[in-house]
Amino acid sequence: MTKQLRDFGITAILAIVIASGAFVAVRNADLAEHQIDLATRTAGEVAAGRDPLPGPHAVIVGPATASPTHPYLHHRTLRDPSTQLAEGPLTIAAGPDAKLFYDAASRHDRGEVVAELLADASGRAIAVRPLAHDPTHVAIVLTRAAQLAPYPGLVVIGVLGLGLAFAAAGAMLGGRARHVGLFAGIAAIAIPCALWHAAIATAAIVILAAMVALAQASGLTDRLARGLRTNKTALGFLAPAGIAMLVLVATPFVIGIMLGFYDHHHGTWTFVGLANFGEILSGGGRPLDDPLNFWFILGVTVLWTVANIILHVTLGVLVAMVLSRRWLWGKGIFRMLFILPWAIPNYITALIWHGMFDGQHGAVNSILHLLGISHVSWFESWATSFAANVITNTWLGFPFMMIVALGALESIPRELYEAASVDGASAWQKFRHITLPHLKPALGPAVALGSIWTFNMFNVIFLVSGGAPGGSTNILVTDAYRWAFERGERYGMSAAYATIIFLVLLLWTVFGTRIIRKKPAIGDEP
Amino acid sequence: MTDRKPSRGLMILAHVGLVLLVAIVLYPVMLVCKRAIEPGTQFAVGASPIPQSLTADHFVQLFSERGQGGDLLFLRHAANSIIVAVLTTIVGVSLSCTAAYALSRFRFPGRKAGLSMFLVVQMFPATLLMLPLYVVLNKLHLLNSIAGLVMVYATTAIPFCVWTLKGYFDALPRELEEAARIDGASQWMIFRRIMLPLARPGIAVTALFSFMTAWNEFIMASTFMTNQARYTLPVLIQSSVTKYSADYGLFAAGAVVTSIPVMIAFYVLQRYLVGGLTAGAVKG
Amino acid sequence: MKLAALAALAMSIGACEQPSNNIVLWHAYNGAERDALAASAATWNAAHPDRQVELVAVPYNAFADKLTSAIPGGNGPDLFIYSQDRIGDWAASGAIEPIEFYVDDARADRFADAGLETMTYKGSIYGLPLASKSLVLYYRTDLVTAPPTTTDAIVALAPAMTAKHGFALAYANGDLYGHAPWLHGFGGTVMSDDGTLHIASPEAARAMSFARQLVIDKVVPDHAEGPQVASLFNEGLAATVISGPWFISDIGPNVPYAVTTLPTVSPTGELAEPFASAEGILMSARAKDKDAAFAVMDALTGDVAALERARRARQVVPNKAIWSDPAVVADATLGAFRAQLAHSVPLPKTPAMRTVWTPYETALGEVLTGHATPAERLLALEKEVAGYTHVERP
Repeated sequence: MTKQLRDFGITAILAIVIASGAFVAVRNADLAEHQIDLATRTAGEVAAGRDPLPGPHAVIVGPATASPTHPYLHHRTLRDPSTQLAEGPLTIAAGPDAKLFYDAASRHDRGEVVAELLADASGRAIAVRPLAHDPTHVAIVLTRAAQLAPYPGLVVIGVLGLGLAFAAAGAMLGGRARHVGLFAGIAAIAIPCALWHAAIATAAIVILAAMVALAQASGLTDRLARGLRTNKTALGFLAPAGIAMLVLVATPFVIGIMLGFYDHHHGTWTFVGLANFGEILSGGGRPLDDPLNFWFILGVTVLWTVANIILHVTLGVLVAMVLSRRWLWGKGIFRMLFILPWAIPNYITALIWHGMFDGQHGAVNSILHLLGISHVSWFESWATSFAANVITNTWLGFPFMMIVALGALESIPRELYEAASVDGASAWQKFRHITLPHLKPALGPAVALGSIWTFNMFNVIFLVSGGAPGGSTNILVTDAYRWAFERGERYGMSAAYATIIFLVLLLWTVFGTRIIRKKPAIGDEP
Repeated sequence: MTDRKPSRGLMILAHVGLVLLVAIVLYPVMLVCKRAIEPGTQFAVGASPIPQSLTADHFVQLFSERGQGGDLLFLRHAANSIIVAVLTTIVGVSLSCTAAYALSRFRFPGRKAGLSMFLVVQMFPATLLMLPLYVVLNKLHLLNSIAGLVMVYATTAIPFCVWTLKGYFDALPRELEEAARIDGASQWMIFRRIMLPLARPGIAVTALFSFMTAWNEFIMASTFMTNQARYTLPVLIQSSVTKYSADYGLFAAGAVVTSIPVMIAFYVLQRYLVGGLTAGAVKG
Repeated sequence: MKLAALAALAMSIGACEQPSNNIVLWHAYNGAERDALAASAATWNAAHPDRQVELVAVPYNAFADKLTSAIPGGNGPDLFIYSQDRIGDWAASGAIEPIEFYVDDARADRFADAGLETMTYKGSIYGLPLASKSLVLYYRTDLVTAPPTTTDAIVALAPAMTAKHGFALAYANGDLYGHAPWLHGFGGTVMSDDGTLHIASPEAARAMSFARQLVIDKVVPDHAEGPQVASLFNEGLAATVISGPWFISDIGPNVPYAVTTLPTVSPTGELAEPFASAEGILMSARAKDKDAAFAVMDALTGDVAALERARRARQVVPNKAIWSDPAVVADATLGAFRAQLAHSVPLPKTPAMRTVWTPYETALGEVLTGHATPAERLLALEKEVAGYTHVERP
């Protein structure tokens, strides 16, 4: 009985949330429809020369006449049948709604059909119709403010009680009736939805009811409840981070993926299915060596990530190996200085390096000049521009690998090396058989994480080369950014890009960690 | 590693090599410092990192620039940055500690999936999450508020922090907990009194990371905050260098001032840093 | 102690929006422009204690994107200052409010016609103009004796400048905005008058070849952006510079310079005409009280405020009355800017224009470095841009 009521209670809350949402949507749509209909019909009456329906504010607005001194400036006239006054100028003095009339008439003149709810949440609707006997003038009708229908609290309580009765009755009968009762109880909440003609909500609640009834029948809800009880402490510890991640990471993540199926144009979103993905993956009809072709950019991105990771790890491990020697002087100072690039905000680093690679005045060219190498225009050919990005990011990224490697090296027991020395192992053999195996477990996750960071390293690419020359050094993230902000706000394309980046990275890490190690260290059993 | 000293030549070579590398690493930093204390607004001309003449103008300008209310812009933004970064650190580390502890010490269904989720969510490019995030923050009425920014930064930092801390907790011996449990300590007491103090190095590293996340970020800060009075330091500094007109002197002075707190934090925490990042992975 | 600190923290977080009667205005002004605007706003606030104007400075980089995302969500300002090139975009998406209802002849009389007309889009007025901006020619009076009136006169400066590793001219040659004077001087366009793309033309190709030739002949540096242009000019390594009014604040204190209108393009004999953009105050479609918001717009673009901006910030204001003010008349630099406006091309306002900038600059970069030939590259460019704009899907 209690289990039955528990399941009913939890599901009923969900069902009522769905029903309430449906109610709000339905009543808003109802109100809009009613108000717009009233405005349109009244405008039709006035346009036909009849008296307006009682209630709405109906006026007749004259055509736009250009000012004699300023041809781009237009004025209109207003006649209000309810006041019997002569036609006068439509200015701010004509009343609080004068601007609404003026703008509605202008939109009508541009060929738009004006019959809509005002955006000010007052519930008023406006409609425009040209006069039958004088099409230069239009009849404009503004309905009165309207209240939304109140929330049917009593209905909800009634339905809830009814459902509870069903569920309880089923529980008392026992056997199969328990699940049928539960299903009927929850499904009862769908009845008001069905009456409001909210088909999707009705279906959703019925499906929910069926799922819960089935889950109960198979014992799933019991197992879930038991699981929750036994892992209470663990879930309590996990909950704060979990909820925060759910709201601020998972939700935007899901929205982001959904946006990929829409096209954004002038503030309106249109569902286009897989069209964005198709356009991206087909390269948009561009040849493969076009810097705007997805596959070209993907190639650059992979090259960029691999080059960086190799350099970061090699340099990081090399420096760490020297730094971990006991005989080294000024170890602490060296270590501190090497961490420095990591401590400086990376947008600052990127801007500095952009300046240093400058063709005219850059420090890099000045140094090359001192060395007798002639002027290099770094951002004018792909190779040098790409190199500039990689150099910057290596400067920025190797300290992380160095620190990780240093930690791993310091944990290697000294006896291993001594034993190896006794056995007459060469330096290379010691590295190969002692150092490397100990570095791997620490570097594996670091490489996985580092490659994700590098793959999505927006700041360096955007601020150092900015994609120059000709967008050929863009990586996927920067190109996706350009779709959103430089190519007519194609947010849909940008979101589709982001989804593809996500999938590529997922594959990358799944296979990447397989190659580095049979099993990723993250999530290993302790 | 082997303690045996290598030949004198090799030692000198190692030191010289390191010094050279340090010079390369420090060079851009020195150029910025030079830019900050040399007069002029253009980017450094020439290769020498040694300034020809000195001026405090850029710093004076940085500290004395006033916003419209007449308040000092730099102080205002620095205060915002400190509040945001400190709160992000507190929130981020608290949330990560409890989550990492749960993932390290408890066995429950969905644990592994949860762990990989923490890694997987990093793969969706943050820059492109901004638009959906904007929608969510708008619904929660957290736009243009410090609390909203703190929550966004904290959740950005959580995956890395959980990852690091879980490794750290994994490496801690379980015997102490067992003993405490026998003495009747609650799970929370064990976490609070035993685990947290033991995990201090790991916590220090994640705190540093959370702090940096908040301290260095400017894209979200400039998008989600509309009121200039709520901008953080990076927004101020970044806006002094645009494609059209750039005051590199002011930028460099700002860069130096912003970097110093992080450098100090790194200096203080560096001994934790080495062990803290790798504890879980190298435990043997 | 701990409690007090916590309370202070809580206050700082809690100190969020309190709903107010204020009219919020976003702007990206700095320095003198900001001060002049603030002074006019202060005048308004003194006279309207119950309807204060709240100025919010928003960094230029983030400005447009922030508006685009903030206005539909109701988080945007009531008013904002922006140049006219996004009016088409915002009007199409319903983000800005048409205001021609408020504008009567008396108000329109205040502005030079060209000034107010730039704020119109498809028959509606969307803003009141504050100032116009265009490129002009700056020259160092110690390096150039007479103001150059033709491009040949500038090219003639090259040998002397090259000898000391300098350049006769520096301008942001990788930017479409910087390239526009040549484009128009050769008779090329980006958009035709009816607002359709018209990028690839023999004239536009000739303008690109001309820009490339300037690089080859070392008349101009091969790739320059705003900051480098300023440093070349200040060090005496550029005899002339083509830039906008913002350049004045980049010029060093001891640099002798003067401002004149852009020269004639010698190969065609036509004037090099820059893009002219006009900044205005626009109203958000979500402004709370539109009548009050317009009253603020009206006051901030009035003659008193305009005089303040012209004098303090040397803005080229469209208010006719200002140009008889003795202090303004005496300002030769301001005069040159005004004269240039008469020979300029208004920046197109169509949404398509916004997708042109980056691709055009990419193409320009390739031609300037000799990696592409103008005619072919322009054709490819037009195709690319058309791909971004004509994506009307069913």
